[in-house]
Amino acid sequence: MSPILEVKNLSKAFGGIVVAENINLDISSGEILGLIGPNGAGKTSLFNLISGVIRPDAGEIYLEGRPITRQPLYRRARSGVARTWQNMMLFTSMTVLENMLVAPRTYPGESIANLVLRRSAVRAAEEAAYERAMGILQRVDLTAAAHAKVTDLPFGHQKLIGLARALMNDGSLLLLDEPMAGVEGAAYETMQRVVREEAAIGRAVCVVEHNVSFIKDLCTSAVFMSFGRILERGSVDNLLGSQMLTDLYFGV
Amino acid sequence: MEYILTMGVLIAIFIILASSYNLVIGYGGLASVAHPIFYALGAYGASLLSIHTGMPAPISVVFGGLVAMIASVLLALSALRVSGDYLLIVSLGFQLGILQVIKNFEFTGGAGGLSSIPSTITGPLRTPIYLAISAAGAALTVWLIYRIVHGPYGRAITAMRDEELAFSALGRNATSLKVVVFAIGCGIAGMAGGLYAFYFQYISPEQYEILQSASLLTMVVLGGMGTTWGPVLGAVLLIALPQLITFLNLPPSVMAPLQGIIFTSLVLLFLFWRPAGLVGNAQKRSPLAAGTQDLGGSA
Repeated sequence: MSPILEVKNLSKAFGGIVVAENINLDISSGEILGLIGPNGAGKTSLFNLISGVIRPDAGEIYLEGRPITRQPLYRRARSGVARTWQNMMLFTSMTVLENMLVAPRTYPGESIANLVLRRSAVRAAEEAAYERAMGILQRVDLTAAAHAKVTDLPFGHQKLIGLARALMNDGSLLLLDEPMAGVEGAAYETMQRVVREEAAIGRAVCVVEHNVSFIKDLCTSAVFMSFGRILERGSVDNLLGSQMLTDLYFGV
Repeated sequence: MEYILTMGVLIAIFIILASSYNLVIGYGGLASVAHPIFYALGAYGASLLSIHTGMPAPISVVFGGLVAMIASVLLALSALRVSGDYLLIVSLGFQLGILQVIKNFEFTGGAGGLSSIPSTITGPLRTPIYLAISAAGAALTVWLIYRIVHGPYGRAITAMRDEELAFSALGRNATSLKVVVFAIGCGIAGMAGGLYAFYFQYISPEQYEILQSASLLTMVVLGGMGTTWGPVLGAVLLIALPQLITFLNLPPSVMAPLQGIIFTSLVLLFLFWRPAGLVGNAQKRSPLAAGTQDLGGSA
């Protein structure tokens, strides 16, 4: 079976700073790939390259076999790239539900022409989005918070909303940027469960995370990045067992 | 009586202007200072079409709106593709540059302005009829903007203003949304310009100076940025108040700077003490103040 995501010879430099150097990577359906490495290794930059926040200098990115390298950010989301952010980037003046309702892959309500001429299509999409949003909120145990302003929620719940909003996009690839940073207790369990469920229904998931036990529990395999390059791919245990890599990670 | 009705027409026109500016800057978060120039493009577009072709006023007003809208799309496409911050600078240049063009073309009447704009409505009921038309225009504008900023479209505008990057990464086309919001706001301002031109039958470049930006901003901030009724209240107060000052019989050399001082002071006072404006919820932060909330820090 061909992989969901294929990254081929991807390179990007900002002036003299190389954030990606000849990156080759693929992720298959159902796989949860951990992306580990020291700070500044280029993990988030790789996410930015894949989701379209920044354009590569060279290389190609394929999603389900189709090239998406030249698609702008918003088109890649429509193609099926869903992502979360280290600092969540929630819409702070909106409620939890509103944050989610604006997030489906197709949103006819963003066009005035549709609002005037295709009102029933807009209404149908709104209803479908509402159903989907409430279903996802139930899965992250935050149904009760649907109408709360996101800024009124505790940090762990905001992290979950960041994930829940990304899940409104029912595409094939899910990129999670440090989902566990600052999350503990029940929210931690929920996050793990939901990520597993998403992989189980066939999504390709890639996780940047510093929390080693989360990576160990969850990921089927992992890649180790340093200075914009992928040094090794393997099982989490093998990677963390390698003396060279742990030295790099902990800066010994 | 005539004076009061004329004030009514002026207030209605400024409700249209302030509401459309609020759509751009308050809801859309698009920091443009060029709103007066779109008002001017509408006024000149409508007047010139009517003068040279004898086109009826309603068609000319719509034409004026289209001129302003097309100009705003050109401006937005050049400025908004990069980042919102550029709009402030580009719109400033646009405002100053186009006004110079208007001042120096013979076609537009130069610095002396355009008179000879035909009066489409005549007779003793001219002013009441104009008041009715302007008031209907104001009501329509407020209603239209209310519809735009509520529901799925408004949700997208709010999300875009809150976090543009996250918004785009969800599959929403932020650039096109900004261009459309800007074009609607500026097109409405253009139509307000046409209304003004046909009522007063005289327009001149100095009415569209950058200072008008300041007074429009004052109306929006004082009334309540990002609210439906804020700009309406702001327009009523800021058109009526200076008229009251004129009763003081001050010489023009004192009047003009005094009005400037009052406008500027009001904006400063409101930003300090009531950033959400008169209508706005005091708990809710105004879009102008958004982004400053992290500066507080713990003592």
